[in-house]
Amino acid sequence: MSRVTNIAVAGVGGQGVILASDIIAQAAAGCAHDVKKNEVHGMAQRGGAVVSEIRFGSLVHSPMVPDGEVDVLLALELLEGLRHVHRLRADGLVVANELRVAPAVRPPGAQAYPRDVLARLRRTGGAVVTVPAAKLARRAGNARAANTVLLGVLSRHLDLPLEAWQQALRACLRPDLVEVNLRAFELGRRRRTAPKK
Amino acid sequence: MTVTIAEGAERVLLSGDEAIARGAFESGVTVATAYPGTPSTEILEALAACPGVRAQWAPNEKVALEVALGASLAGARAMASMKHVGLNVASDPLMTASYTGVRGGLVVVSADDPGMFSSQNEQDNRHYARLAKIPMLEPSDGQEAKDYAVAAFDLSERFDTPVLLRITTRIAHSKSLVELSERADHPPEGFVRDPAKTVMVPAHARRRHELVETRALALRDYAETCSFNRIEKGDRRVGVVVSGVAYQYVKEVRPRASILKLGLTHPLSPELIRRFARSVDRLYVVEELDPYLEEQIRAMGVKLSHPPSTPRTGELSPDAVARFLGVRRRRVRGPVQGLPPRPPALCPGCGHRALLTAVKRLKAFVSGDIGCYTLGVQPPLQTMDTCVCMGASIGVAHGVEKATGRSNNMVAVIGDSTFIHSGITPLIDVVYNQSPTTIIILDNETVAMTGHQEHPGTGRTARGEETHPLSLEEICRAAGVRHVSVVDPYDLKTTQDAIRSGLERDEPTVVIARRRCVILDRERPRRPLRVDAERCIGCGLCLGVGCPAISDVTPAGAKKKRVEIAAELCAGCSLCAQVCPADAITEVADSE
Repeated sequence: MSRVTNIAVAGVGGQGVILASDIIAQAAAGCAHDVKKNEVHGMAQRGGAVVSEIRFGSLVHSPMVPDGEVDVLLALELLEGLRHVHRLRADGLVVANELRVAPAVRPPGAQAYPRDVLARLRRTGGAVVTVPAAKLARRAGNARAANTVLLGVLSRHLDLPLEAWQQALRACLRPDLVEVNLRAFELGRRRRTAPKK
Repeated sequence: MTVTIAEGAERVLLSGDEAIARGAFESGVTVATAYPGTPSTEILEALAACPGVRAQWAPNEKVALEVALGASLAGARAMASMKHVGLNVASDPLMTASYTGVRGGLVVVSADDPGMFSSQNEQDNRHYARLAKIPMLEPSDGQEAKDYAVAAFDLSERFDTPVLLRITTRIAHSKSLVELSERADHPPEGFVRDPAKTVMVPAHARRRHELVETRALALRDYAETCSFNRIEKGDRRVGVVVSGVAYQYVKEVRPRASILKLGLTHPLSPELIRRFARSVDRLYVVEELDPYLEEQIRAMGVKLSHPPSTPRTGELSPDAVARFLGVRRRRVRGPVQGLPPRPPALCPGCGHRALLTAVKRLKAFVSGDIGCYTLGVQPPLQTMDTCVCMGASIGVAHGVEKATGRSNNMVAVIGDSTFIHSGITPLIDVVYNQSPTTIIILDNETVAMTGHQEHPGTGRTARGEETHPLSLEEICRAAGVRHVSVVDPYDLKTTQDAIRSGLERDEPTVVIARRRCVILDRERPRRPLRVDAERCIGCGLCLGVGCPAISDVTPAGAKKKRVEIAAELCAGCSLCAQVCPADAITEVADSE
C-alpha cells in the first residue's frame, strides 16, 4: 500500500482556505486516488483561524491527519502557518504566502503579531518556500487568484499530474474565473525557488 | 454557501452532509425540511438543489419534524435534519412519532458537534435513540453516509418507525469519495384514516406502546444479523468495538486490530458483541463523548480491558485513540507557544456591533441568544451576559426582572431568525405576565451565522422562490407590545434613545434594529473612513467598538495613542466616527 500524502491548508476566515483545499482534493480524486478532506466551518469564518486537511493515497482512513504526519503545510498567511507548523513531519515542507494579517481582535494580554514570524517559521518548519502570491496573481490578472499561485507552487512538490490540477481548477471555479486562475497557477508552478532552511 | 452535487461522475467528492442529501434523493424522498444549524445545514441546502424534492426551511426543528411526520403519514418518504441541540426542540414530536410509526420512510438526521466548533454544548444525541426507542444508524464516512441514508428509509418502512441517522462534525464536514446511483421514485399514496395509529389519545397510545416494545425486540434480533454491524478479524490479542468516525481513527492507528464495527448503534446486538468479546484477548470500546456503548456492553456482562474510558469531553482524534489503545507513536512536537489567538470577530460594518455599542453605552446587562452577535461577549465589546439556547434571551431577561422587581437594567438581544425560531412564545409571556422587558431584535434579514440561509422573514424560500415575508413588527404588536420601534443601528443616537426609552418604561418594549448583514450588502459600497491625526486626541474610544478595520498603531514610547483605519477593510458604517468625541474620523475624500 502506498503511503498516504497529507496536506494541511491554514489561513484566515474569508481567505479561501476551503476552496483551496477543495481544489487539492479534487486534483487528487482526478488521479484515482482515495481522498479524504476535513475542514472546520461555522464561527471560524468570521475572520477566525481556519484549517483544512487533505489526505490522498490508495486507501485513506481518518479524515484527520495524525500529529506529526503533515507532508506539506500550505500557509495562506504566515501566523496561521506558524500555528500549525508543529504538525509537520521532520522532513515536511512549508509553502507560505508572504502575507501578514493581524488578528481582527486582540484580547487583553494577548501577544502582538510576531514581527519575526517568518524567521520562526523557518526555525521550526525546516524547509520553507515563501511566495509573494498577491504580486504574482496581479501579474496573472487578478490579485484574488493568490491562492491559486500558491497551489501552483504546491503542485511541484506533489505527485499529481498537471492535467489533474487544471481539471480541478475548472471543476471548482466559476467559469469566468478559470482562465485567470490557470495563468496564476502556471506562474506559481514555474516559479524556481529552492526551499530554504 | 452553495452546495452542488456533480452529476455524471462515477465517484464524486461529497461531504457527509451532501452524501446524506444524495442518499435521500436517491431514495425518492419527497419532503425534506430543516432549520439551519452547524454542522447540519448543508443537508437541506443540497436537497434544495435536487429536482423532485420539496426541500424547505422550517421556523424551527420541532416544526420541521412535524412536517416530515405529516409527509410520512401521507405515504411520502421524508427527512428532517438538524444539529444536535435542534433535536431537543424536536424531541416532543420525536417521542410520539415513535408510537405512531410511519407510512413513508421517516428519517431524522442529528448532526452532533463534539468539541463544540459552533455550539453551546456537546450533548451526545445517541441517548435519544434509546429514549425514543427507535433504530439509530451511525456512518463512518461519506459513502456510508449515503448508503445508510438509503437504508434508513427502508428500515423505517420495514419496522414502522422513525430512524435516527446520527452523524458528527467530522462526518458532516469531511469530504470523501461517494458512488452515485439513480433516483428511485417513491410516490406518496396519500393520507389514510387510521386513528388507532395516528391519534395518540391514551387508549390508542397504550396499544401503540405495546407495539413499540414488540418492535424493539424485533429490532434487536435484526441487529444481530444486519449488514450494518460487522466483525473485521485481525490480531486476536486486541479487539475494538467502535462506531462512527472513530472507526476510521482505529483503522488509522491500529490497522491490524480485530474490530467490531457497529453501524446500527441502537438497538445493540448482545450476541454479536459477546461472540466478538470471546474471540479476542483484550476488549476495548472506542467512542466519542458519553460511554454510551461502554455502559450497555458492560451491562451485558462483557468484561472490558480498560478502566478509564475514552475521554468524555471534546472531540476524539487519531492521536487520542492511539493514546487510549496504547499504540506507541513517534514523538511529536507541541504547538509553538505564545502566538496571538485569532478568534472570529464581527465583520467591519456589522450592524450587531453598532447595536451592541449602543447597549454598552447604556451600561445595561444583556441577556443574549444564539447568533453572530454572541461574539459580542469577546473584548473589547463584552456586552453579552447570558447565552443558553435558541430564544432564551427573552425568557431569561423576563425571569431576571421578575426576581429583582422592576430593576430595568437588562435588555434581551435576539436575532431575527432566532426570534422566529423560539422568541415569539417568550414574548407573549412577557406581555401576558406584565414584565417591562426591553427586547431588541437584531434584524439582519438572514440566518447569517450558518451561512446566509433564508427564513420566514426574508420573503424567500430555501429554493429561492418568493413568498410572504413575515413582519416582525406585526408579530410583536399582535402579541400585545404597545411600544414597537424600528431603528437603523448605524444611527447610534436614535438607537440608544429607543433602547433608553424602553429601559425607562414600565411596559414591554421591542426595538427592531434593522440592518442587512454586511456580507450580503457588499454590492452597495460606502466610502471608507480615515483618522485625522491632527484632530485625534488619542482617547481610544474608537478602538472600544472592536472593529477589525481599526488598529492601534501607537509607536513604542509615544505619549499619544495613534489609531489607523484600514481602508480596504472599512465598510464605512461610521460607528467609530459617532463614538469619537473629537470629530477626528471622517470620510476618505475622492482625491485620496
